[in-house]
Amino acid sequence: MSTPAFLLRRLGSLVLVLFVTSFVVFGMLYLAPGSPLSFVLGPRGGTPEQIAKVTEQYHLDDPFFVRYFAWIGDLLQGNLGDSVVYRQPVADLIQGRIGTTVALIALATIIIAIVGVGLGLFASLKGGWADHAVTTVATLGLATPAFVIGVALISVFAVGLGWFPTNGSGSGGLDTLYHLILPAIALAVASTAYQARITRASVLEEEGREHVQTAVARGLRPRIIIRRHVLRNALIPITTVLGLTIATLIAGAVVVESVFALDGLGSLLVRAILQRDFAVVQAVILVLVVAFVVINAIVDFLYTLIDPRIKLGSKQ
Amino acid sequence: MSKRSLTLVGAAAVVALTLTACAGNGGGGGGEKTNGEATAFSVDRDSLASTTEPGTKPVADVTWNLPYEPLSLDPMLTFNYAENTVDANLCEGLTRITPDLGTENALAESVENPNDTTVVFNLRTDAKFWDGSPVTADDVVFSLARQVGPESATYWSDYFKNVASVEKTGDAQVTVKMTQPDALFEQGMSSAAGSIVSKAFAEKAGEQFGTPKGGLMCSGPFKLDSWEPGKAINIVKNDAYWDKNLIPKVDKLSFSFIADESTAINALRSGDVDGQFFYLPPAGLSQLKDSDATITFGKSYIFWSLRAIQPTGTFSNPKVREALLEAIDQQAIADVVFQGTSIPSPVLTGPAYFGTGEAAEKFQKAYDSYTVKPDIAKAKELLAEAGDISKPIVLGVQGSSAVHEQTANLIQAAGQAIGLKIETKVIPVEQFGNLYFDPKAREGLDGFFTTYYGNVTDPLDVYTTFTPDSTNNFIKYDGAAKELEDARKTLDPSKRADYTIAAQEKITQDLPWMPMGDLPVILVQNKKISGAVPSSAYLGYPWAATIGGVE
Repeated sequence: MSTPAFLLRRLGSLVLVLFVTSFVVFGMLYLAPGSPLSFVLGPRGGTPEQIAKVTEQYHLDDPFFVRYFAWIGDLLQGNLGDSVVYRQPVADLIQGRIGTTVALIALATIIIAIVGVGLGLFASLKGGWADHAVTTVATLGLATPAFVIGVALISVFAVGLGWFPTNGSGSGGLDTLYHLILPAIALAVASTAYQARITRASVLEEEGREHVQTAVARGLRPRIIIRRHVLRNALIPITTVLGLTIATLIAGAVVVESVFALDGLGSLLVRAILQRDFAVVQAVILVLVVAFVVINAIVDFLYTLIDPRIKLGSKQ
Repeated sequence: MSKRSLTLVGAAAVVALTLTACAGNGGGGGGEKTNGEATAFSVDRDSLASTTEPGTKPVADVTWNLPYEPLSLDPMLTFNYAENTVDANLCEGLTRITPDLGTENALAESVENPNDTTVVFNLRTDAKFWDGSPVTADDVVFSLARQVGPESATYWSDYFKNVASVEKTGDAQVTVKMTQPDALFEQGMSSAAGSIVSKAFAEKAGEQFGTPKGGLMCSGPFKLDSWEPGKAINIVKNDAYWDKNLIPKVDKLSFSFIADESTAINALRSGDVDGQFFYLPPAGLSQLKDSDATITFGKSYIFWSLRAIQPTGTFSNPKVREALLEAIDQQAIADVVFQGTSIPSPVLTGPAYFGTGEAAEKFQKAYDSYTVKPDIAKAKELLAEAGDISKPIVLGVQGSSAVHEQTANLIQAAGQAIGLKIETKVIPVEQFGNLYFDPKAREGLDGFFTTYYGNVTDPLDVYTTFTPDSTNNFIKYDGAAKELEDARKTLDPSKRADYTIAAQEKITQDLPWMPMGDLPVILVQNKKISGAVPSSAYLGYPWAATIGGVE
């Protein structure tokens, strides 16, 4: 498939996925009990007149389809709507927070790619004690939830040693990087462990393949065998897992952002769900879905680079 | 989010231990401390603070944490901890609350009452908004009048319900006419309800007024510098503030929004955050004891209570509630649930509401006539007169709140001791707010727990909730309606106290809300700074204007 055709098909499926997701999410929010009223009216509740006025102002009593299509209509005009609770345009809310989440996930991805793949290679190629050590550490890492790691990191490195800040995303640039190191580690640990195990397993599997054995029998230098025959083939599962991992990081970021009090999309989403702030929930979910689809497309592209025999968009 | 469940498990374990410790001692009798080691703190009502040691040095930056991000800074839409914590430093009214919970003039030079239904505010002429424009009578009329009428979006409608008109009656004079005498209106003006905002600015900002985009224009000792959504609210010193005693020593104060309690505690321990007001005793507060932070317990309006919310069922019977309260050990709630940071109270409004003078003496006398010691025998007697108690009582418990769950456990135990069946139903935290205005959300529940506070030093401010048309009076309790109406119409404090005490007598008998203890304000300050106001006044008084560096 040619690149434009591939992109077009991906775009088409993206639109379809966005439509279905938005419908499902909107429907679930609509069915779930609760309303943003309590947040609009204040903690003392409101007079009947106030309740009626706000309900009308925000169309909270309109039927489901009326509300949904009103929202879709706004969206098609490039308007993400207004947050009922914050009295602000949703676009503003997202714009202010997306940078933090992207930076956090990017940093975590780098950690996973370098440390995870590195440990996996180290374990599989070195074998023996190294393999045991990495496998044990990876099991521990996989079994420990991100928030536990987050709390432990804060206790040791922020409160105990005072090397890092306990919370917040800093004032931009290097300061943000510095603020995001601990959260990124907390976010990356489980995925790094998983990445290490997958890397180890696929390298071992490739090592046992016939063509590798043949190469060994032919007396090729181990360095060349590993680079040309083992790593190249192992890269496909490694890349796939890395791609999927980034997608799951988006979900994991919700927890980490809360532990480190980061102003990211995750914490915004959680709060918006709690407050039944429809427009905000919808918009954040759409952003996450787009990110997910784009990452998958990138992974597909990478396949063709790693192995030219794989055709773009093929089901292989 | 998930982390909270961790602290919850920990807290539950502590409770279990404490409860077994109790049982092991053969305790359960009387108001004595359950176990010295089990309670992390010990708070005595007489030792509650209203000021902290003044800091003397100028400070460049202070970081203060809020338990969540405010939804708006428009004073008309601030009726909660985080919002008021910020606004108290930015916006001021005609009068203001003082650290020891009195009132003093602010933007008003004097307040006169030519008759029972007229309040005249004479404005000081040297006050300026942050943009340099003077605070005029027009601004005052605008700020108050926009809150009058049933459709106004204000959170403070209760204080304005008897206002007939707000008019400019001189260059520096505003007159408010009431439809009937109202003792709470003038007092309420010392809260954020009476904050004066710039008319020109607010009209220009429209719906966006008080949001990160729309900004704010007030005349307080700090100016709003920036609001970075999700991240921080930054306020800076207002050098031109008219009250020279309250010009801040802090140049810049940044508010962070760390919602997670243990992250907040860690930030305080590490010094990333210099201070915070805690509105419920957090599980981790004791971790601060050996850190660079000082904890101050302050005079407070806040109390913990159990509300009856249904017109039918076992719990709708006042006799049942009376019996249950008689069986509840408030000291155990204080020790176990609040780690020693709550104070048993027989009535909803404790001494913080009493004020001074003759009225205060009357309230104190009435207060002293009650007791909080549990009396199981008497509780059983009362219950025997209650009639049918076969249907279980279902209490709504806020999900992931250790304080709710633990209190419910203790109350269940108390109920069991006298033969009352009490069940709990966990309401997810995200749906708990609906209980306040949606009768459907309350279906299947007989009661739920809540913290509540008044805004002024007058028990009537709290008891007015029990007038039949109050939005918070879900059961339309009207047992003290006449007394409350009379009290609100009575401007003389001492005579009003008589009516209020009569209402209190009935409310404390019928218990539409059951008192579960008074909660002091908990102020945490880093040792580098001092001077923040630790009393409930922090929700209305510029508490940060008195912060300074410590030598």
